[in-house]
Amino acid sequence: MSSKQWLLMFLASVLLIALLICAFNYVTDPFGVFGDRFFQWYAFNFTKNPRVAKIAYLDRHHRQYDSYIIGSSASSSFSVELLNAYMDARFFNLFMYGAYIADVTKTVQYIVDHYEVKNLVLNLGVVNAYKYDKDANLLTDILHARTEGSSLWQFYGKYLFANPSYGLEKIRSFRRDGYLPQTFDVFQVATGAYDKSLRDIERIQDLDGYYEKYPVFLNYPKYEYKLHHIDDFIHSVAAIKKLCEEKHINLLVIFFPLYYEYSRFFDPEQVEEVYTRLAEITPFWDFSLHPLNTDPRFFYDETHFRNALGDMALAKIFGDETKYIPQDFGVYVTPANAREQAAKYKAQYNLDDSAYTVKVPILLYHHLADETGPLIISKEQFAAHMKALAENGYTAVSLQQLVDYVEKGVELPPKPVVITFDDGYASNYEIAYPILKKYNLKATIFPIVSLVGKDTYKDTAQAIYPHFNYEQAREMVASGLIEIQSHSYDMHQHKAFEGETAREAMEPLAGEKEEAFIAALRTDFARSRQELEAQIGKPVFALAYPLGKYSDLTEVILSQMGVKVTLSTEPGINTLIKGLPQSLRALKRINVDENTSADELLQILSR
Amino acid sequence: MSLTSPVFFLFLIITLFVYFTVPGRYQWLVLLVASYLFYAVAGIKLIFFLLLTTVTTYFAGLLLSRWKNKTRKKWLLAAVLLFNFGLLAFLKYYNFAIAGLNLILAPAGFALPSFSLLLPLGISFYTFQSAGYLIDLYRGKYQAETNPAKFALFVSFFPQIIQGPISRFDQLAPQLTAPHALDFDQLKYGIQLMLWGYFKKIIIADRAVVVVNTVLDNFTSHSGSIIAFAVFFYCLQIYCDFSGGIDIVRGTAQMLGINLRENFRRPYFATSLADFWRRWHISLGDWMRDYLFFPLSLAKPFYKLGKRTRKLFPGKLGKIIPTSLASFIVFFTIGIWHGANLKYIAFGIYNGLLISFAIVIEPYMKNFLQKVQINPQGRFWQIIQIISTNFLVFIGRYFTRAASLGAALQMLKKTFFFFQASAINSGALLDLGLTKLDYLLVLCGSLIILGVGFAQEKGTSIRKTLEQKNWAFQWALVMVTLFVLVVFGIYRQGFIASEFIYQQF
Repeated sequence: MSSKQWLLMFLASVLLIALLICAFNYVTDPFGVFGDRFFQWYAFNFTKNPRVAKIAYLDRHHRQYDSYIIGSSASSSFSVELLNAYMDARFFNLFMYGAYIADVTKTVQYIVDHYEVKNLVLNLGVVNAYKYDKDANLLTDILHARTEGSSLWQFYGKYLFANPSYGLEKIRSFRRDGYLPQTFDVFQVATGAYDKSLRDIERIQDLDGYYEKYPVFLNYPKYEYKLHHIDDFIHSVAAIKKLCEEKHINLLVIFFPLYYEYSRFFDPEQVEEVYTRLAEITPFWDFSLHPLNTDPRFFYDETHFRNALGDMALAKIFGDETKYIPQDFGVYVTPANAREQAAKYKAQYNLDDSAYTVKVPILLYHHLADETGPLIISKEQFAAHMKALAENGYTAVSLQQLVDYVEKGVELPPKPVVITFDDGYASNYEIAYPILKKYNLKATIFPIVSLVGKDTYKDTAQAIYPHFNYEQAREMVASGLIEIQSHSYDMHQHKAFEGETAREAMEPLAGEKEEAFIAALRTDFARSRQELEAQIGKPVFALAYPLGKYSDLTEVILSQMGVKVTLSTEPGINTLIKGLPQSLRALKRINVDENTSADELLQILSR
Repeated sequence: MSLTSPVFFLFLIITLFVYFTVPGRYQWLVLLVASYLFYAVAGIKLIFFLLLTTVTTYFAGLLLSRWKNKTRKKWLLAAVLLFNFGLLAFLKYYNFAIAGLNLILAPAGFALPSFSLLLPLGISFYTFQSAGYLIDLYRGKYQAETNPAKFALFVSFFPQIIQGPISRFDQLAPQLTAPHALDFDQLKYGIQLMLWGYFKKIIIADRAVVVVNTVLDNFTSHSGSIIAFAVFFYCLQIYCDFSGGIDIVRGTAQMLGINLRENFRRPYFATSLADFWRRWHISLGDWMRDYLFFPLSLAKPFYKLGKRTRKLFPGKLGKIIPTSLASFIVFFTIGIWHGANLKYIAFGIYNGLLISFAIVIEPYMKNFLQKVQINPQGRFWQIIQIISTNFLVFIGRYFTRAASLGAALQMLKKTFFFFQASAINSGALLDLGLTKLDYLLVLCGSLIILGVGFAQEKGTSIRKTLEQKNWAFQWALVMVTLFVLVVFGIYRQGFIASEFIYQQF
């Protein structure tokens, strides 16, 4: 090969390599800028750079939406579903990482120019006057060139020659992708919000447990944020306001809830300036401070509040009285009260959760019989337990009452306790029910639905403890004392009858694929609910896990299916929190049987 | 602009294009403009310092060529050298010295201002190069350059101004000003040399440095074996970084038809410490030899000293004392040039002492080898020498890499007395910032360098060997090289995994 040929070959090789990289980036499209034709995995793209990927997505899908919520990542906790319901609209959550109002302003201008926009929810905080514009140059944090109004050539060039590691990561993640969100796909594509399915099912109860899980709140950092961008901030909001007026867009401005200690980063005088000047431009709903904001359980990290708080805020704005809203939560700020509202940044709040939390022990029984054993209690002992409860001021409450406490803030009677029975044995009807009636104690029974009315195992001739039938169930429910909820339809099988393939609990079988398990779980629970509701006529909203075994996946699936309360068999006493549905997940239960004397029971309850 | 930046490639392509388009007699002007542009990118204000040296050296050169009076010439030479080296020293050590002075003055309530002085790009290299030019003129080796622009190009020639090699006027200037026709061979060799340099720099050095910094910036928390491992990586790093950079510089020049001198000749094959320094940063070593070592050795005080020592110690020892002292001074100067720090003085003493020692024991060694019947030219003895030389160099590197002399001694202490070989395991190594793939690349890369070096030591020309292969092989080699450079070099950084992206949000 002559040197000239070598040089040509070299040049061709350089071009070929460049072409290969471009092709790879185009096909994998980890930021979604080229339309992600091959993977169609927007959740991944949004995660990589929401500024770019959301616009790229909306350019193709904006006809599905007519309203937008925009702001920093805190905006994600305002539910698109609730906004849709309250405003009769089709919202997309256009939030981006970081509270840079310059980016927000450009993005609003872009969507108003290019999409149909009826409503715009602008989610802000004083922090917007702290950070204003981002000196962004990374593929992961720049704005889309169409939003920025910068060179498209340069923009696409950047992504064509992006580090192939991004594409490789997408391929690798694609293989690891499962039903639950992972670090690489934290978004819900259809709503544009974070996929918080895991955050929404994590059991949140006592403060100490929460501090242990989220130590950042024990050792909260301390900073001073000087607001250097008050002018920029006010001008940006004014520009957005003007734009909305011109285009007849309904603008709703919200100041999102801040964790109390975070609010101390700001200088109250500067905050007052922000409030008074902003109120002159537009009225806004302010949720930034409230005594509840001292409670870390409503936050999941230093700066982000939970969906539950977002739901309360929206309920307040739209006057939804079916929801629990703490007193004085959220104020509509106008020039008249701006100063007073800003003064909250100086006010001292102390964490006192006595008004909105309650401790609830849950007792777990199974079968009643003379021949006692593990999980079997005698009539006498059970009667002694009930007598002790009644005589010591305990009030047995239903699960519905727990739900009402958490969802609507309906107070529980003093010394509440929940009595539960698993499996649905006939002895519950024959022995326990009369005693409960005698002491006027409420209880919840969780039958295995496929075994209702059976004394042999399913379709076999194998004898089992008899289970009550629907007639008996209806009678108990009619008394107003008994609730019947699900213990699965047939996910509590017995190895003795079914062999090794028995599904003893809500767990995947050996080698079972995630999808297959999810399908099985959904089918099973739906069937149990359908049959119970059809036979008894009361809504099924709770499930006691067979063997007490649960996982993130079962919690997410069941919660999506509308199960508000799940019960485990982990021992302990529950703390319920008004307005925090997570306090009803995987409730702890105290297993009591023949060996527990009435005195011991009282001792356990008084802990 | 960095030699590895995309801007540099663009700059190079444009320069090449213009260079080979204009008529030959203007080509040197293209180089001059390109060089000053290149310099301006680094900092337009810094051109002032470059010009200062260029102008003073140019005029001093003219006078040195014209004057006949030896004494006047001597004074002029001394004055201009003092000025330029003074400038270098001032820029390099001013803040260092001020910080020290202020410590002393502080109790008296004085404080000297410190300037944020940016060291002009390549100031050491062009100062040394200009000084060499003046000394040669003083010695009457050649005539001064009369064209100031041509002289300015000699001082500022862009590929070499960053990190050398330090060229000699009589070797470089004629090449710079001569017309060069487009030569495909030169272009090809230039590209190949550059690729080789990039390979060393971004595949090996940029990885090795991670281990080096992780361990040695925090050496107290590592065991002796890990420290030794990191110092070994440091040897790898500086060789690959420095010689790789020089390859890129030489490759660039070669594409322009200009051959710069070699600066490294496979130092890891050296059979003695003296041999090592003849193979490492050759242009600096030669400069020191010609302009410092020889003048020193021949200077009157040294001559007198030699006489005296020969009287005191008859035999070999007496002869080598002045030589060793001159060596010390050379190493000391090199050390000071690196930076004002005790560790460099220790480094100079270490090398000077060992080199002198080797000269002293040479005859005894010869006798010994004869007795045990080992052929000093044989492969066995050579390998022993190569290994022991590399070991000595390795120990010397403790001084140059450590933050201070104290740290160097502590690192050595840990290496020799708290080695803890068991601390070197895959878990610990993967904790130093490199992945398995990184280590694999460093290992394979080093083996390739060693293999190529071995072939070159035996006199094989890699280029010629490659040219003889068929096109498929050559193409595959180019593709693999480019692929490795792009994937493991250019794209090594600038990637943020998802788990780190939304964490704060």
